[in-house]
Amino acid sequence: MSTASGETRIVRTTSAFDCGGRCPLRLHVRDGRIVRVEGDDAPEPQQLRACLRCRALRQEVYHPNRLMYPLKRVGAKGEGKFERISWDEALETVARELRRVKDTYGNSAIFLMGGGGYLAALHSGGRAAARLLSMFGGYTGTYGNVSSEGAVWAVMAQYGSVMVGNSREDLLNSRLIIMWGWDPARMISGTNTMYHLIKAREAGIRIVCVDPRYHDSAAVLADEWIPIRPGTDTAMMVSMAYVMLKENLHDQGFLEKYTIGFDRFRDYVLGIEDGVEKTPAWAEAICGVPASTIERLAREYATTKPAALMDCQGPARSAMGEQYNRCAMTLTAMTGNVGRRGGSAAGGLMGIPIGHMFRSSGIPGMRNPVEAGGPSIRGTLDLQLRLVRRVHINRMFDAILEGEAGGYPADIKMAWCVAGNPLNQLGNTNKAARALKTLEFFVVSDLFVTPTARYADIVLPATSVAERNDLTRPWPSGPYFTAVNRAIEPLGECKSDLEIAAALAEKLGLEGFNTRSEEEWLKSFAEENEETREHIKDYDRFRRDGVHRVELAAPIVAFKEQIESPEDHPFDTPSGKIEIFCQRVADIGDPLCPPIPKYVSTPEDRNDPLVEKYPLQLLSPHPRNRVHSHMNVAWLREVEPHRAWINPVDAAPRGIKDGDEVHVFNDRGKVAITAWVTERIMPGVVCIFEGAWYDPDGEGIDRGGCANVLTNDAYSKGGAAVLNTALVQVSKA
Amino acid sequence: MQLGFYFDQTRCTGCGACRVACKDWHDLPAGPRNWMRILYSEKGKFPDVFVSYLVAPCYHCLEPVCVPACPAGAISKRAEDGTVVVDSEACLGNEDCDVECLRACPYDAPQFGPEPGARMSKCDFCLERWSEGKLPVCVEACPTRALDAGTLEEMKARYGDVQEADGFAYSEGARPAVVFKPKRPSSR
Repeated sequence: MSTASGETRIVRTTSAFDCGGRCPLRLHVRDGRIVRVEGDDAPEPQQLRACLRCRALRQEVYHPNRLMYPLKRVGAKGEGKFERISWDEALETVARELRRVKDTYGNSAIFLMGGGGYLAALHSGGRAAARLLSMFGGYTGTYGNVSSEGAVWAVMAQYGSVMVGNSREDLLNSRLIIMWGWDPARMISGTNTMYHLIKAREAGIRIVCVDPRYHDSAAVLADEWIPIRPGTDTAMMVSMAYVMLKENLHDQGFLEKYTIGFDRFRDYVLGIEDGVEKTPAWAEAICGVPASTIERLAREYATTKPAALMDCQGPARSAMGEQYNRCAMTLTAMTGNVGRRGGSAAGGLMGIPIGHMFRSSGIPGMRNPVEAGGPSIRGTLDLQLRLVRRVHINRMFDAILEGEAGGYPADIKMAWCVAGNPLNQLGNTNKAARALKTLEFFVVSDLFVTPTARYADIVLPATSVAERNDLTRPWPSGPYFTAVNRAIEPLGECKSDLEIAAALAEKLGLEGFNTRSEEEWLKSFAEENEETREHIKDYDRFRRDGVHRVELAAPIVAFKEQIESPEDHPFDTPSGKIEIFCQRVADIGDPLCPPIPKYVSTPEDRNDPLVEKYPLQLLSPHPRNRVHSHMNVAWLREVEPHRAWINPVDAAPRGIKDGDEVHVFNDRGKVAITAWVTERIMPGVVCIFEGAWYDPDGEGIDRGGCANVLTNDAYSKGGAAVLNTALVQVSKA
Repeated sequence: MQLGFYFDQTRCTGCGACRVACKDWHDLPAGPRNWMRILYSEKGKFPDVFVSYLVAPCYHCLEPVCVPACPAGAISKRAEDGTVVVDSEACLGNEDCDVECLRACPYDAPQFGPEPGARMSKCDFCLERWSEGKLPVCVEACPTRALDAGTLEEMKARYGDVQEADGFAYSEGARPAVVFKPKRPSSR
């Protein structure tokens, strides 16, 4: 590692953000400091190009507000006043509080939150903390993933698998691509995804974008933009099914061979079940898309083969979100596009079984004693069973406030937040702030005093990705594997979350918490993981290069085997088929959780009487210049000012001009933000990108522009956080 | 020889990777000194909207109008590669000079920091990288491969000699060293 003074060495590494890309990076390190960032230097077409976020990595690592030592609170909770303490005092305090709360209230009073801010095999803070707290007698934890739960539930119902994607280059085999609620220009859906889509466009493949916004992906790719009201995607899809059925454009042979329950869906679509024919005119009234457009798209999708209907996760973060993914998957079956090159099985996850984050190794978990004796939840689609011992992630603050009396599994007295900023990133931030103030003790480990950490009693400084060795994977798969290589020594007194948990284990007198060195762990992950064992033959080289690329002889196509030889390869569902009607869902017996995909009106959609007071629908998509609330750095902030998108039709009657300071508000809170008056968002909808830091003033107005001040802390029946179902009003400040 | 850029406007998502990579490579602070800028244009009415982005580095003009505009003679055009370079030390700064170069440039390429007396700096075509056989960092950073750089002759041979783009006006007086694949409402 030693280098002569002034010499530059290159460290090949990657990131571990909660991001859909894992891009090879070359960090230039001089005198122990990162001085420049370069991207991948592999020859094309293998090159995996980083986006602007990691290009600004230096400003995150060396941010003037980086925590350098442990802090203890000296002001009121939320005030943000702290003073420096030693690691020993910090860990003693945390250990003492853990013991006190355990002795006084029992282990279930200890709550663990966070973990999403750093996703890798070893230093993944959530996993380390969970192991430690399990050894300590247990804790109350969360269920669900704030991003993708609606899609996960939907694919498990329909296919019994999350590996629903084709590899990206297969887009070039398509003849029509429908991007439905998918904006990969911002939400990195696998490195190079936009590039593959651009190549598809340049090959003459028609691309249609269905979205309330004319986002940058649409601006670059779309032959046609179809604006649609938030939360109504399923209605449009159902009416597309209606058109296909009426005009006999669906692939009946495919449906008979590979699916079950299509007849039930057909009866719903045609109105046999409920007397309502789901005509394009019916859908137009709901979703605002002209009936003629719906008819045209239905015909085009049914007759252009192969065609890729690419749904995503954003529209599924809504009150009936999982229905959108289920209906998209049903359309792919109706058109026979499942398991087919150039097609798509939909499902919103787009994963392939090489390098998927869900298949990463990690330090071994342990059985959480607090969850012992709960119901068996393996494979269940019944969310209530999963919430007997756990708290839904988007209800954690309500659980802190209401406890067992509110129907939650525990009375929570203390919390530990690792690598996460849930106050900022989950629904109803003002409620979160109220909840965190009620905790007897709150410890946070992070790189910064985040909006969540402002409510902490103790804040522990964590190392950044540049200061760690680790193995990482992107959300939706490779086909490649990446390694994080330490570029610099830990700054200040920072420790990784694994080291913090290990130090706490020692304070608590728990033996056997961490049994291997960092290098031993990493090597064991590579050797023990089925995928890496198969693909990575030279571990040392993998680590040195920071990436191992898997060359595919042909594009990966999800469910290819199930379609080509169904007798030998049933789907991983109880019926062995694509479950358009899902008995496991029917057994739940909840009309808001239908066993076939259905459009259902929900609170805070346009039919809610609340529209009188709050007439606009709020969207809170991923920002392009942060990773959620991470990378809140100057080089990225200046790329795009944080603004609320509003159509001139909505701005004019409110006297709002482009660049005006406005208030966006509802009963949950008020955000002060600059208006961006643009034709790129449909009337009736406003958009604030998530992740801006909550900064309430003395009057309770959030000056930071945190979208979640306005969103709801509820979940759908499939477990989706309903962050894109929120009514608001906008006024000039 | 004349070096120049190619920009495929139809591929640009306006993401800003080029701009951030430029700031990182050249160690430029956040703020007004942007050697690479991205210009935004939006036309039409909902739902018929047209959006384009235009990268604006220095186009290293064949007849750089900033050179004669500079009262201190701080800007020059290099004979060996045609790049337009500034000797920031020789620049009088934005208090002693009324930013004549910036006022002369049709593309606002000359950049000044926010501080009083700030001296001009601008895109230098990453000559340090070029001398090592590497492309400018903005080119290598573009996730959609919308940028390229090389001799203008080579760029024209590879991509054609279109010198128009949405939001760009070719200056006959300055003759910028750039070719485009322009984005037009009809081209998508």
